[in-house]
Amino acid sequence: MSKRSLTALISLITVLLLVMAACGGSNDTSKANDSKANNDNNDANHNSQLSDGEVYEFGSEELELTMFGNYDWYSMPAWGDDLASEWMKENKNVNITAIDSGGEAAQKLSSMIVANDFPDFIWTDKGADVERLREAGKLIALDDYMDKYPNLKEWLSEDAINMLRSEDGKLYQFPNWYNSEPFGNAGYVVNKKIWAELGEPEINTPDDLYHFLVEVKENYPDIVPYETHVEAQGVDLLYSAFAEGHSPADKRIKAVPEDDKLTPLFNNENYIESLQFANKLFREGLMTQDAYTQDLEQVEEKILNGKVAVYAGASPTEFATDGHYRLLEEDPDAGYIMIPPIAKEGLNRDNIHPGSYEMLGWNVAVIPVNDEDPGKPEKVFAFLDWLTGPEGQSVQNFGVEGTYWDGFDDEGWPIFTEEYINDPDGIAAIVNGSTNHQWVGNSNFLDTAKANFTMELPVEDRLWATHWQWEVTWPTQKDQTDYYAITPMPEEAEGEILQHIDDIADEAIASAVQNAKDEDEVREIMLQAQADAEAVGYDQLLDYLTNKWQENLEKLGW
Amino acid sequence: MDKLTKSDCLMVGFIYVALLLLVFVTFYPFWNSLVISFNSGQDTSLGGVTFWPREFTLENYEVVFKDKRLVNAFLISILRTVVGTAMSVFVTAMLAYGLSKKELIGRKYFMIFCLLTMFFSGGLIPTFILIRGIGLYNNFWVMIIPTLVLVWYMIIFRTFFQQLPKELEESAQIDGASTWGIFLRIALPLSIPVIAAISLFTAIFHWNDWFLPTIYITNDKLIPIQTLLQRILNSNTATQAMANLDAGSAAHFSKMVTSFTGKSLSMAIMMVATIPIILVYPFVQKHFVKGVLIGSLKE
Amino acid sequence: MKSDEVISKERMDEKQKSFVLVKNDDNNQSPKTPKQKPSLFKRYFKQFDMQLLVIPGLLLILIFNYFPMYGLVMAFQDYNIFEGFWNSEWAGLKHFKRFFNDPKFFEVMRNTIVLSSLKILIIFPAPIILALMLNEVRNMMFKRTVQTITYLPHFLSWVIVAGFATSMLATDNGSINILLEKIGLIDQPIRFLSIPEYFWGVIIGTNLWKTIGFNSIVYIAAIAGINPQLYEAAAIDGASRLKKMYLITIPSIMPIIVIFLILDIGNLLSAGFEDLLLLGNNPVLRSVSEVIDTYVYRVGISNGLYSYATAIGLFKAVISVALLTMANQIARRTENSLW
Repeated sequence: MSKRSLTALISLITVLLLVMAACGGSNDTSKANDSKANNDNNDANHNSQLSDGEVYEFGSEELELTMFGNYDWYSMPAWGDDLASEWMKENKNVNITAIDSGGEAAQKLSSMIVANDFPDFIWTDKGADVERLREAGKLIALDDYMDKYPNLKEWLSEDAINMLRSEDGKLYQFPNWYNSEPFGNAGYVVNKKIWAELGEPEINTPDDLYHFLVEVKENYPDIVPYETHVEAQGVDLLYSAFAEGHSPADKRIKAVPEDDKLTPLFNNENYIESLQFANKLFREGLMTQDAYTQDLEQVEEKILNGKVAVYAGASPTEFATDGHYRLLEEDPDAGYIMIPPIAKEGLNRDNIHPGSYEMLGWNVAVIPVNDEDPGKPEKVFAFLDWLTGPEGQSVQNFGVEGTYWDGFDDEGWPIFTEEYINDPDGIAAIVNGSTNHQWVGNSNFLDTAKANFTMELPVEDRLWATHWQWEVTWPTQKDQTDYYAITPMPEEAEGEILQHIDDIADEAIASAVQNAKDEDEVREIMLQAQADAEAVGYDQLLDYLTNKWQENLEKLGW
Repeated sequence: MDKLTKSDCLMVGFIYVALLLLVFVTFYPFWNSLVISFNSGQDTSLGGVTFWPREFTLENYEVVFKDKRLVNAFLISILRTVVGTAMSVFVTAMLAYGLSKKELIGRKYFMIFCLLTMFFSGGLIPTFILIRGIGLYNNFWVMIIPTLVLVWYMIIFRTFFQQLPKELEESAQIDGASTWGIFLRIALPLSIPVIAAISLFTAIFHWNDWFLPTIYITNDKLIPIQTLLQRILNSNTATQAMANLDAGSAAHFSKMVTSFTGKSLSMAIMMVATIPIILVYPFVQKHFVKGVLIGSLKE
Repeated sequence: MKSDEVISKERMDEKQKSFVLVKNDDNNQSPKTPKQKPSLFKRYFKQFDMQLLVIPGLLLILIFNYFPMYGLVMAFQDYNIFEGFWNSEWAGLKHFKRFFNDPKFFEVMRNTIVLSSLKILIIFPAPIILALMLNEVRNMMFKRTVQTITYLPHFLSWVIVAGFATSMLATDNGSINILLEKIGLIDQPIRFLSIPEYFWGVIIGTNLWKTIGFNSIVYIAAIAGINPQLYEAAAIDGASRLKKMYLITIPSIMPIIVIFLILDIGNLLSAGFEDLLLLGNNPVLRSVSEVIDTYVYRVGISNGLYSYATAIGLFKAVISVALLTMANQIARRTENSLW
C-alpha cells in the first residue's frame, strides 16, 4: 500500500470514528427530546388545566412570564419602563421578559423547537408557523379556558372564532386587533392646494382622474401626478375602479370570485382594463416612474414635501397625516384630502372597494405546552384575557384609571375625563410606551370607546386620519374574511404552483404597466401570462382555492 | 529618494487624481450618514440633508447612551474581540504554517479537508444541537471557540508563509531550532504585515457578528454591543412608527417596518456600532511599512 | 547592464526555490527505494511537532464543521423540524428535481454565472490596482488617509448603501438624473433602477464602491511584505517606477492573486445576496437579478422549505467544489495552488 493512500485511509477512519462517536451522542439526546415531545402530545389536554372548576385570578400572585415575538423587527421594550406596564407590574404582579429575535426570528424559533424550550407565549402571524406548531402538538387549545375567562369570548365574534379554529376544531390562536366593524385605510389622497388651483374638478371616474393628472403634469412639472406608494400599490387599487364588488385582495390570491367559483385573474376583463389604464398613466409620465423600485423613504419625502397630486395606496393615511400637518404649518390652504374611490362610468359607486380587511385582525398569540409547570398556560391565558378586556385595554391605551378616564359607564365603556381632551400629548405618550406590548389588542372595544368620544368632537379637532377614516375609507373597505387562510402551505403541491403563479403574475403585471406600448400589448402580455400559468397548474390551484373559499363561506354563513 | 522620469511623473499625477476622486466618492455616503445621525429625525424624513445637519440634535445619540446595558455590552464586545482575535489568529496561523510545509504528512488531504468546509455546511439545527450538547449554550466561549479557525484567512496566511525566504529557516534548522521555534521566532515575526491584516479582519468579524449571540445567548449580561444596538433600534423605531397607527393599519405596518426605520436613529446607532472598530485601522496600518523586520533579522 | 543584476538576483531566488523543491522530491521518492522505508507511523511521529501545529485547527474544524454535516441529509428528506433528522420522511431526489424543473432554473443559473463573471472581471482586479497605486504614493499622510477613507464603505450595511443608490438613481428627483439634465446630456430622466439592462451595471458599480478599499488591504499587506532589497537593487539600476511595478511588485504578490482567483472561481455560484435582494428584488428586475442565493432565500427559506433550500445548497456546493478543483488544476502550472 502506498504511503499516500495509507495516510488517506488513516485520516478517513479517524474522521469516521469521531463523527460516529459524536453522532451517537446526539442521537440519544434527540431521541430523548422526541419521546418527551410525544408525551407532551398525550398529556397536553389533561395536564394543562388547573384542577377542574378552579378559576385563576390574574393578579393574585406574582406571575413571571416569558414571551417571544416572532418578527425580525420586534424587540420588546423592557417591561415596567412605561406607564402601563409599570402599573401592571406593581398592581397586577406580572413581570414579562422577552426572548429577543435579534433580527433572525425564524432561526430563533427553530432553535426553540429543537431544544423543546418554549416561552410562555409566542406572538406571531396567523398561518404556517402556528399550524406547524399545532400539528406537532406543541400548542395548548384555548377552548376550555375561554369558557372560564370572560373577555375573549365576549369580544371576539362567533364567526371569527370559527374561522380561527384549526382543522381539529379547536381554537389555538388568541387574535390581536380583531374587529367586527369595517376598518382599513386604502384609498386616494389628493393634494388640496393643487386640486383647488386647478378649479376643484370632480374626480369620479378613471377618465376624470386621467384628465386631472394631465392638467397637473402640464401645470406643475416637478410634481408627481399619481404616486403609487411602494410596490406599485396604487396600481392594484385601480382594479377596484373597474370591478364593482371586488377588492384588490383578488390580486393577492391571484383569483377572481365569480358565482361560486374562483376564476383566473390574468384574463379577467376588469383586471386587464385596470392595467391598460395604469399603463396609459405610466406611458404618459402621469404615474411615478419609480413605482416598482422606490423605497418608503423616497415616498415619505415626496408626501411630506407635497410633491404629489394624487397618492393612492393600501394605507396612505400614515404619511399623508404627517404631510398634511406639515403642509398646513406653511400654508393654511394646503394639506391633503381624501376622495371617495373612483369608479368606471356605469358602476355602482356604493359597491367599490379599494381595500379590504379581515375581522380576525392582524396576528395572534399562542400558548405552548409547558411540561414543567402544567398549570402555567392557564395563567398565561388569564393574563391575556385580562389584557384584551376593558381594564387591560384601557390601561394600555388611556393610562391608569383616574387621570384620563375614571370608571366605566353602564354599558361598560370608559368614562373619559377633561384631561383626555386637554392633554393629547399625555395620551400619545401612553400609547407610545405600550404599543409594543399590544399583543392582544381589542379593536372592537377601542374603536367604539374612541368613537363615542370622537363623535362629540367638532370636525376640525379630529385627527386628519380619523376624519377621513370615518368619511371615506372605513365605509368603503370590503370584508374579505372569506379569503382567510385559503392559500396552500408552501410544502404542498399547490403551494409550489402558487409560487410559480406569483412569480408569473408579478413579472407580467409589472411588464404590462411599465413596458407595454399600447392597450393591445397589455392584453397580449396578460394572455401570455394566463397561458404560462395554465402550463404550471393554475387550474389545480384554482380548484384548491375554490374549495377552501367555499369552506370559509360556509363557516361564515355568508 | 528615487528620481522621477517624465513618464513616472505622469503616472504619479494620474494616480493622485484618481485617488482623490475615489476618496470623495467613498467618503461622501459615510459623511452623509454621520450628518444625518446628528440631524433631527423628523427633519431628516423631508430629505435633502447633505453635507451639514439642518436641524442639529443629539437626541438620536441620547436614545443609545441612556440604555443601562450599554457599558456591559461594550465590555463584552471588547473582551470578545480581543480574546477572539488573539486566539483565532494564533490557531489559524499555526494551522497555516503547518500546512505550508511540503514535508507535512497528509498535507494535501488536510488542505482539502479545510477547503470543503467553505462550501458544505450542515446548517443551523445540527450546529445548535452540538453547541447545546457540549455546554457552550449561553456561554461566553460560544462566541470564540466555534469560529477559532477561519479557513479563508488560513489560506492567506499559508500563501504568505510559503513565500518566506527559505534560507532563514534552513539556517535556523541547522542551528538546531525546532519547528515550533522557527514558527514562533522566525515565521511569525517575518509575517507582521499579514498578521496585522488578518488580525484586523478577524477583529472586525468578532466586533460585527451578531448572529452567534442571537442564536446561542439568552443571558442579557453576555450580549455584545451589536446585538444590543439592534434591540435598541428595533424597539425604538417600531414604537415610534406604530404609535401613530390605528389598529387597522398595524397589519399593513408589520410588512413595512423591516425596511422603514427612523433613519436618523439608525444612522446614530450605526455610528456607535462601527466607529470603535473603524478606529482600529490606523493602528494596524503602521505595520504595513515595508520590510523593516526582514532587514533586522538578516543582520 | 545593471538591471540584469536584478533579474539575475530573482533567478537566484528561483534557483533556491527549485533547490528546495528538488530536495523535497528526493524525500518523496526515497520510500520507493526498497532498502530504507520507514513506516508511515514512524515518520508521522518523527515529525509529530510539526503535526502538532495542525492538530488543534483540524480538530476544531472536525467538531464544528464536519460533525454538523449530518444535517445535509435534510436535502433528501421532507424535513420536519418536530420529527428531527431521524424520523423525517425520505423524499429521495424530489427537491433536486423541483429545482431543475422550475421554469426559473435557467434564468437563475444564467444570472448567477453572468453576475459572478462580471464580478471576477471587474471587482476582482480593482483592489489590486488600488493597492498598486497606493504603493506609488510616497506621502505617508496622504497614503494613510486614502486607505482609511476608502475602507469606510465596508462598514456601511447594504441596507444603507442600497438606500443611497436608490435615492441617487431615482427618476423623480434622483441626484444623478438632475445632474445629467443640468449638464444637458439628457432631457428625460433615465429609469436607472427599473430598466433591466442597467441593473448589472448598477450592481457592479455599488459593489466596486463598497469593496475596493477593504479588499485592497490584503494586497497592501502583501506588498509590505516584499523584501525591500529588491527595490533597492532596482533603484540603483535606475529602473523606472513602472518597471519596478512590473518586475518586482506584481510578481511578488502574484501567489496571493492566483490563490484568490482560484477561490473566486470556486465561488462562481455565489453571485451576491444582500445587494441583489435590496436593489433587485422587485418584479421589474427579477428576471436579471435573481441568482441561486436569492432564489433560495425567497422561495425556500422565507417559506420555511428548509429541505428545498438545503438541496439547492448541496447542488451548489458540489458544483463549486468541481469548479475549485478545475481552477486549482490549471493554477498548478503557475506553481501556485491550494493543494
